[in-house]
Amino acid sequence: MGSSIVITSGKGGVGKTTSTANIGTALALLGKSVCLVDTDIGLRNLDVIMGLENRVIYDIVDVSNGECRLEQALIRDKRFENLALLPASQTKDKTALTADAVKRIVGELKQQFDYVFIDCPAGIEHGFKVAVAGADRAIVVTTPEVAAVRDADRVIGLLEAERLHSPKLIINRIRPRMVKQGDMLDIDEVVQILAIDLIGIVPDDEVIISQANKGEPAVVRPDSRAAMAYRDIARRILGESVPLMSLEEKTGFWQRMRRLMGGRA
Amino acid sequence: MTTPLKEQWKAGPKPPVSVKGTRDGLLFLLNEECSVDEIEARLRELLHGESAGWFDGPEVHVAVDYGSRQLTPHEQRRLLSVFLEKENFVLREWGSRTQARHSLYSHREGAASPIIHWGTVRNGQHVAAEGDVVIIGDVNPGGEVTATGDIFVFGRLAGMAHAGSEGNRRAVIAAAEFMPMLLRIADTYARPPEIDGRPLYTWMEFAYLSEEGMAVDKIQFLPNLRRQG
Repeated sequence: MGSSIVITSGKGGVGKTTSTANIGTALALLGKSVCLVDTDIGLRNLDVIMGLENRVIYDIVDVSNGECRLEQALIRDKRFENLALLPASQTKDKTALTADAVKRIVGELKQQFDYVFIDCPAGIEHGFKVAVAGADRAIVVTTPEVAAVRDADRVIGLLEAERLHSPKLIINRIRPRMVKQGDMLDIDEVVQILAIDLIGIVPDDEVIISQANKGEPAVVRPDSRAAMAYRDIARRILGESVPLMSLEEKTGFWQRMRRLMGGRA
Repeated sequence: MTTPLKEQWKAGPKPPVSVKGTRDGLLFLLNEECSVDEIEARLRELLHGESAGWFDGPEVHVAVDYGSRQLTPHEQRRLLSVFLEKENFVLREWGSRTQARHSLYSHREGAASPIIHWGTVRNGQHVAAEGDVVIIGDVNPGGEVTATGDIFVFGRLAGMAHAGSEGNRRAVIAAAEFMPMLLRIADTYARPPEIDGRPLYTWMEFAYLSEEGMAVDKIQFLPNLRRQG
């Protein structure tokens, strides 16, 4: 019997889907069987980021309506043999999915996978309640911005109300230089406000965007710092204790020169 | 050192009628300081005027609390009839200290023991209580604590606190880490002052109402203040 983890944030655009794709893939690469479930009905993105868009035939709404079997809707990723995706519906109404249906589907998936990751839509309304219904645990993603932290705080309160106590925290898209200059909240500040356990910090990394556009999760890239951060998170989910990565940037002579000239290093 | 809070303002007068949703239905609180005529007029406007549609629909349980006011039988009949004319209203309670009003707030058990809330009061959460409240945790921005008595926060107060919510002007708001967004004691609001462009951020302080308005002082002075009063 596997365990189900919902990835949520409240605010949009902080990296829920990216985190779902990367953590899931990282766990699959570590030998676990993983299923990613997209519950963002009408705005499905997970299949795009995973590069599986052209293989979507049936979706989660079809499964809940009994129009197909769960097996038929699951897309097995050919690159990672342990990884499957249950896509969201793009055309149906948001209310097409109910909490009971998701609970049932996730329950079935837990029978055959070690980990079921549920990608939650932004917001705190119907979609959120539905996504959270089937989860045993929760991971809250935020960025070091005041608005994102406020929304994360709200979501943690709502998760507690749904009996998902002590969720874990990912702080995404950290820009070390801005933190150093005091223009961005630092990790300690965010953790102090939200008062939950940190499971990972992910630096802002352009590779995330280029890989998403390619339809291949960034964790496969050995050189990317964000990829490294996501692999660390996957290992922490497995119970290993991995120290937080250092955000100190190595700055060489030429980078400093370029910065002096006003360019981006 | 006492820091007077510069920017302060008063809440508007209480409305003659306030409507609260409770677990069982609707609770109408009739302001005891308004005249019966004023209340009746407002009720008619609410229930039979433009907003009447809001109260239509399926059967709803209704409780009416008229505070500590004494009503003559004639006045009782006048007010009651406004509610009875509403077909979907099922009047469950009518009185001066109704159960519904009571259950609107969490309760302290003994007269002297405060309500203790364990855990952070997060954005969007509201802790309301009759009597004094102790929060073991932070009150985050967007979180709200309301008490008819004092409020003590064993953590960081960064949200909104309202002490003496039923008019007790001697109530205080104290916190280990004191950086509130907005303070309210009885009917006086205050926004903490900014010092060198940064919001107030102190340790172990409390806010109270002095003769000049709301002020903040070190917690050590709180017992003195209580003895004087």
